[in-house]
Amino acid sequence: MSNFIQVIFSSLEIGSIYALASIGIILIYQTSKMTNFAQGAIGMYSAYMATVFMRGTGISATLATIVGMAFGLVLGFAIDLLIMRRAKNASPVTLQIITLGIVLFLTGLAPLTFGAVPLAFPRFIENKSIEILGASILYNGILNIFIGFIVVALLFFALQRTKWGLAVRVTAANPTAAKVMGVPTKKVTMGTWAIAASLGALSALMLAPNTVVDVGMMEGVQLSALIACVLGGFQTFFGPVLGAYILAIVRNLFGFYISSTWGTALTYSVILIFIIFKPNGLIGKKKIKKV
Amino acid sequence: MKDNPIFRNDMILKIEDLSISFGGIKAVDAVSFEVNEKEIYGLIGPNGAGKTTIFNIITQFYKPDNGKVYFKDKDLKWKNLIDYKTHDVVKTGLIRTFQNLELIQDLSLLDNLLVGSHTFYKSTALEQALRMPRAVKEERKFRNKAMEIMKLLNISDKAYELVYGQPYGILKKVELGRTLMSEPRMIILDEPAAGLNERETAELADILKHIRTDYDTTIFLVEHDMGLVMDICDRICAISFGEKLAEGTPAEIQNNSFVQEAYLGSEEGELAE
Amino acid sequence: MEKKLKSRFNLLENVYINYILIGILFLIAIPLNQAGIIGGSVLITLGSVILYSVVGIGMNILLGYAGLITLGGAGFMGLAAYLSAYFTRDLNMPFLFSLIFSVGIPIIIGIGIGLISLRLGGYYLAIATLGIGEVLKQVFIEYDVFTGGFSGKSAGYINLFGLQFDRIGTYALYAVILIFALIIGHNIVNSATGRAFMTMRSSEAAAQAMGIRMLKYKVLAFVIATIYSTIGGIMYMHLIKFSFPTTWGLGMSLNFLSIVVIGGMKAIAGPVVGALFVIAFPDLVLKNIPIIGTSPGVAYIFNGVLIVVVLLFYNRGLIKIFTDAKVLIKKLIGGK
Repeated sequence: MSNFIQVIFSSLEIGSIYALASIGIILIYQTSKMTNFAQGAIGMYSAYMATVFMRGTGISATLATIVGMAFGLVLGFAIDLLIMRRAKNASPVTLQIITLGIVLFLTGLAPLTFGAVPLAFPRFIENKSIEILGASILYNGILNIFIGFIVVALLFFALQRTKWGLAVRVTAANPTAAKVMGVPTKKVTMGTWAIAASLGALSALMLAPNTVVDVGMMEGVQLSALIACVLGGFQTFFGPVLGAYILAIVRNLFGFYISSTWGTALTYSVILIFIIFKPNGLIGKKKIKKV
Repeated sequence: MKDNPIFRNDMILKIEDLSISFGGIKAVDAVSFEVNEKEIYGLIGPNGAGKTTIFNIITQFYKPDNGKVYFKDKDLKWKNLIDYKTHDVVKTGLIRTFQNLELIQDLSLLDNLLVGSHTFYKSTALEQALRMPRAVKEERKFRNKAMEIMKLLNISDKAYELVYGQPYGILKKVELGRTLMSEPRMIILDEPAAGLNERETAELADILKHIRTDYDTTIFLVEHDMGLVMDICDRICAISFGEKLAEGTPAEIQNNSFVQEAYLGSEEGELAE
Repeated sequence: MEKKLKSRFNLLENVYINYILIGILFLIAIPLNQAGIIGGSVLITLGSVILYSVVGIGMNILLGYAGLITLGGAGFMGLAAYLSAYFTRDLNMPFLFSLIFSVGIPIIIGIGIGLISLRLGGYYLAIATLGIGEVLKQVFIEYDVFTGGFSGKSAGYINLFGLQFDRIGTYALYAVILIFALIIGHNIVNSATGRAFMTMRSSEAAAQAMGIRMLKYKVLAFVIATIYSTIGGIMYMHLIKFSFPTTWGLGMSLNFLSIVVIGGMKAIAGPVVGALFVIAFPDLVLKNIPIIGTSPGVAYIFNGVLIVVVLLFYNRGLIKIFTDAKVLIKKLIGGK
């Protein structure tokens, strides 16, 4: 039983990390109609920035994370301003490749600017744990779960109740109509990229204590976030979040009870096959194409 | 046919009780009409009347909620097109055009036409990759055919030029040429006069009449431009708000009070043209 | 009209000569090597350029013409490499037999994956192949009986019909394979199949109206790319003669993307230029630049930047430099 509790808590923790990354992806997908493959790489680079900054100034992990998120914000702005704006008329395939180009660029730049040695990033709360039903759960883990829930809740509140959120939803539904109605779509896209990048940074720094800060740290998260979006459906903002948590739970269950080496591969395969039967994901709506 | 509708010998298309709703709004409501062989038939209606929707249903880009689309195919057998997948429709002998042409910018005019004969190619990808004799012969045959059609349409001098950057009038002809390559029994055109000036529209009218005779094809126009429709159509069906108003010859339609009422609201004196 | 068609065929023959020329250019490296002007490692680098070009040609057909992204190309390439090593080394199969299985097995898997993934929207194939690539890499690491795991797998040079190839012979053979790869790629793209790919990419609506079955042609394009990948993988195995599981990861799949995009997506020979840039340039030039040259992934910076630059501004890719040069030379000579 204690093992099961352990698995559930760690699933919720990693699910939060996936959820934050997948929200970034779905925000960009909805407003710019493209799949962002660079979500992980942007997070990675921001995490490096935060870690190096922390080492240089000696601030706490929490403050460093805020710095990292701020950096992510700026990076997101920059990418939209310098690259995405000029790619307005490109096909979705081209846009995807551009994000892959960004991945390459950041992957090459990181060792050049930060050195090739992997770095360590500490937990927000070290060494404290609590016993729940016989399982030893770290405070940090619970904190991460909370961060995940709170950020997701904040974002949904913002999407549903604020002016910005409305602007995002309108741009997502119909960019042309949005422009006609006076919605500042350019600012919306830029803001979305900034927020998505920032979320990428946060998820990277939440992940960092469990692994190391190195070039490939977010590769797994990137893939999982994408698959979470596929599972949950690209049509809604909430679907990918649901997909993220389900993905994390299934993967950990498979990993623990079936095979630790093949858990991930098995989960991906199951989901990719599930999609054949439900092509629009768990919360999917079919789109009618106008000809 | 379970319901055994009556098919007269000279019919080629029979639309029966077509209905479709989008999000609770009925876009097309129990529309029925018939098109005869070798006719030039027109479907007219103000913007939003449901013409394009009917068009997309006939060509199986949409499936209707109710109704039948009976078509007499190349073997002269009656088929319900609703049973067909979109990409199988062309094999029955029905080919469509597009409002935005949907041509391939990176290919030449000739290559764009060749896409039209896609379903006739028998050689496999492997044969084409290795340029086996059958593939080479086929390619040559269809190239010749395409050049013939381009001559008829007066665009053969541009055969090897890319579609990218060509004037609109030329592009329209390329699309028309592409439809002819599929050896259609009926060509269904989506607002073919859109974007053409008076001279070009007159030329289009001429071409369509020639196609009807030279290629033994029925022409079905969905159109907004009254000039073209009144000029060349043998019979017309007028719709408004998804419902059929009237069906008949141009003169009959012009004099129909329902039609006048429906159209007088949109543009004054349109029918008088 | 007969005359116009004849000159059209002459034009085709002309293009074939271009491809043969490319092969000959690569072959020139052999006498240069024999004369001691370029070293053996340069030959290996150029050999790598050739085999990456072959894979790139297939990917170009898939991406540049059919408009589909795959991020699992490296996985299939690796699978073929390991299979070829296993069949020739461990099972001592004659090379031709091994070839049939080393190409056949990945193709069957590719068809299966294609049939599943390609039913859905464009983004799905990229994500699915990303996942497949990761799964394959895991397989390479785990099944060490077959792949040697982290210690790697080795193979020898090709032995065909009793003729034992050595490094030079392999290189020459590969140059010839490249010529054929180019010619066949050219034929595919200029046939009804190629036009179907391009129609599918430009306009799904037009493709459906013209009777092109989307799923069939998507899978076909994917299979063609897989075939080229597997051949490239086998070429890799019998030139480099060693394979590690970490080679076949996302990095390599992204390299292929770079090769196709940077070289030029609308030209069959584009990937050759792309491979020269992505493979040869880092090995022969970048590595020797002080300070930056030693940083791992320096090449990635260039690739990443160039991908974005090419896509935004120079749509035809680097190969445009060659076509522009040809036009210029023709003008200078007086033109045909």
